[in-house]
Amino acid sequence: MRKWFARLAALGVALLVAGQGTTAALAQEPAAGKKIIRVGATQSMDSMNPFLAVRLISTSIHRWMYGFLTVPDSKTLAPSPDLAESWSTSEDGLTWTFKIRQAKWSDGQPITAEDAAWTFNKMMTDDAAKTANGPAVENFESVTANGQDLIIKLKAPQASMLDNPVPIMPKHVWEKVTDMANYDAEVYPTVSSGPYFAVEHKKDQYVKLQANPNYWRGKPKIDELQVIFYDNPQAAIAGLKNGDIDLLGRMSPPEFEAIQNDPNIVAWNQQGRRSAYLQINHGATTSDGKPVGDGHPALKDQKVRQALHYAIDKQKLVDEVQNGLAKPADGSIVPPMYQDFFWEATGDTKVTYDPAKANQILDDAGYKKGPDGIRTMPDGKRKLEFRFSIHTDTPIEDKLAEYLTGFFKEIGISLTTKKLDSSKFTEETGVTGLFDIAISGWSVNPDPEEVLATHLCSRRPSPTGEGGGTESFYCDETFEKLYKEQQKELDRAKRAEIIKKMQERLYTDAPIIAIYYTNDLEGYRKDRIASITPIPEDNGILYGGSSYWPFYTVEAKEAAASGSSAEGGSNTGVIVGVVGGVVVIALAGFLLSRRRKSTADERE
Amino acid sequence: MTTPLEAAEPAAQAAGPGDERPTRRGTLQYALAKAGGALFSIAMVIVGTFFVFRLLPGDPVRNLAQGRNMTPAQLDLERRRLGLDKPLIDQFFQFVGDTLRLDLGTSYEYKRPVIDLIGERIGPTLLLAGTGLVIAVSLGVWQGTRAGWRHGSGFDRFSTGLSLLLWSVPTFWLGLLLMMVFGVGIGPIPGLFPFRGIESVDAPDGFAYVLDVASHMVLPCLTLVAVVYAQYLLIMRSSLLEEVGQDYVTVARAKGLRDDDVRRKHAVPNALLPTVTLVFMRIGFVVGGAVTVETIYTWPGLGQLFYEAVRVPDFTLMQGTFMLITVAVIVMNTLADVVYHVLDPRVRSA
Repeated sequence: MRKWFARLAALGVALLVAGQGTTAALAQEPAAGKKIIRVGATQSMDSMNPFLAVRLISTSIHRWMYGFLTVPDSKTLAPSPDLAESWSTSEDGLTWTFKIRQAKWSDGQPITAEDAAWTFNKMMTDDAAKTANGPAVENFESVTANGQDLIIKLKAPQASMLDNPVPIMPKHVWEKVTDMANYDAEVYPTVSSGPYFAVEHKKDQYVKLQANPNYWRGKPKIDELQVIFYDNPQAAIAGLKNGDIDLLGRMSPPEFEAIQNDPNIVAWNQQGRRSAYLQINHGATTSDGKPVGDGHPALKDQKVRQALHYAIDKQKLVDEVQNGLAKPADGSIVPPMYQDFFWEATGDTKVTYDPAKANQILDDAGYKKGPDGIRTMPDGKRKLEFRFSIHTDTPIEDKLAEYLTGFFKEIGISLTTKKLDSSKFTEETGVTGLFDIAISGWSVNPDPEEVLATHLCSRRPSPTGEGGGTESFYCDETFEKLYKEQQKELDRAKRAEIIKKMQERLYTDAPIIAIYYTNDLEGYRKDRIASITPIPEDNGILYGGSSYWPFYTVEAKEAAASGSSAEGGSNTGVIVGVVGGVVVIALAGFLLSRRRKSTADERE
Repeated sequence: MTTPLEAAEPAAQAAGPGDERPTRRGTLQYALAKAGGALFSIAMVIVGTFFVFRLLPGDPVRNLAQGRNMTPAQLDLERRRLGLDKPLIDQFFQFVGDTLRLDLGTSYEYKRPVIDLIGERIGPTLLLAGTGLVIAVSLGVWQGTRAGWRHGSGFDRFSTGLSLLLWSVPTFWLGLLLMMVFGVGIGPIPGLFPFRGIESVDAPDGFAYVLDVASHMVLPCLTLVAVVYAQYLLIMRSSLLEEVGQDYVTVARAKGLRDDDVRRKHAVPNALLPTVTLVFMRIGFVVGGAVTVETIYTWPGLGQLFYEAVRVPDFTLMQGTFMLITVAVIVMNTLADVVYHVLDPRVRSA
């Protein structure tokens, strides 16, 4: 009796499930026919409020949603019109007038200079609104609107005005916000001026964006752009292979190799926006010039730093540490992707791998080798034993440390690795100066002013021990002077020359040593994405660049087929899974009841 | 039959001297004493939390910048916003006062009240970890009972061996393996189950939605159950083994009862007590979610939130989740003590 009851129940459940499975398939049907592209991300959004959001994922999504005064040109990366269709500067470089384009917000309201003025004034007057992009308005004296003209008066000339990172927000929606610090902006649909507007955000799950029909360049070619969040890169890669997502950016070399041979995936390997370098504690000081930390005294000597530079085989690091997916750095912190500002050493200034020369430099400077092969300071007091600070749980940095240890051994310098968790690392290498050599890197924006500023005297920690954002504890008169010069130079070509000189200074004085520029590694599905244009257009980035261009130009493969196949795929999975589960349960139930019966028989 | 008597003695003392008869008042007193102890523990947790998280290295404001450039003026501003410019002792009293009012502060990273963030995450966590617990306990108790009852049989060796093997496997590795096999699919086998999140991006409505969530739960639940059910199995098996040799079991058999009845009605109820304690203790941890499993499968629960908080690190968020988890464990332990007292007459009286 019991056996039959169990079997009947199982059958009932199976039928019910099968029936519901079909309705599940039907429920998802409306999605088919729409052109949807799904982008994977290994970070989730911290905030939908552009005044507060700081994560890269959030600023990227906001770039797809909101217009800026200017954006990088898709070919040259030079500033080009966005919401500002033209601009002019006063003689003294202090007054900028932007003419705002006649266009509409996604809700149909006109975009005016008032919107831009409100956005900047909000940031200048409300501390909470400064959270995301505070430095961008620090130099602003006043911002006013006059018809479609936006007039910005500056305190001091600033050439990087055209790389302003502040998205312009609709005044008619946002002026109602009273408590900016706690406003999460979860109101949908959003009122946007970019190619897309957000329609849904499930926290830590996904964001759905829809094509903005009012976008001034015209509606994007796809209907919906979804950004799907993963907590770990392995799952995201599995998602790409599986077709749950169509594009995934910012991969590490091992992750990239996992998708390289997948026939359905285009493996995107292009020059990137990131440079990796070593910071050298060349005598860290606080902003009042007092020494701080415990850096090795030998590193104060430019000759020692130069010798270290000669001892590093950058090509080998690229081949062995980055699996060949990088470019050796013969320049400084601006990667070659930014052609206008990129500087590369040539002739006598160029440092090439030459351990003999490195040894020569150290011999000449009086650092003699001891019986153990390790050099000592010229006064014989201290050995040249340096520490190399890296992050915990970063296999690539572990490997790098191994190679550097080998290179420096060749020139009589010993290197020991010191692993620190990220907050301790930031503290020791940016505030307390408790390091000799440390790994570092920076993702550079189309305007490199920001990364250059991390080497200014003013960025050193305060005497009371508060970090100011220095990357090297650098404080150099020549560098400071050049920085101020480039701020005033409004001619792009002339400014680029000054910026190159700054990089040359960093290269020869060597407070940092650039080792390589990592490639931009991404992957997208051939069967879903028909075409996508990187930025810059010839060989650039898809995801994570400073532009919406790739996601504005992206075109999906035939909507109906792809849409339904993706949906159908996941649905089949559900049905197969559920039916499979039911079969297993039914089988288990069957066996169990049999077993019970047989044991009962045995015992009775 | 001396063992139960000895075991009961300390508990009887705890219930108060002279309290020899099992009364409702005795239980109440016992429960109140336990609750008092729990309250004291919670107070210590609140104090401890504050100082432990202040001892962590690193400047929270710089960590918040996440590699973005921030001017010194802006860093100052952030410090003021987070109240980090005040003396530590002021921060402490502020913290204790706020915590008592259930105001766990505002997350540095999400810029939203921690209590709201926890509220959003607790549902998915209870669903996943709760289901996992129920399945793991049922599976463990069922297999443990069978294995213990037929000690040394093929079933015993197989189930004990398998559960111990799974218990020893690193959760992260097992999770990724299951993801590859059942999520992505291997060779001709297609991917069967979704492995990201709690629902599809274009989730259907109604009962289909329930199915959608259920299919998303398969892999996380499987991982969660696989690595923990061994402990229930082993406890159940060993406590049943102790009972098997007892006189009352022999008596029950001698009465001519069916083997199933001897097991189910006599042995198992007595053997269940240690498992009950264990289950109550684990319920406390359920609130903490399963950090690893939630991280592998992008499950939007408390474990994932805690992981994010540690990664940033987001002090207020860490404090909030940490306190929630500890308080849950303390409360559940207290409950376990009380339930044990109610369930087992041997604990109540000598």
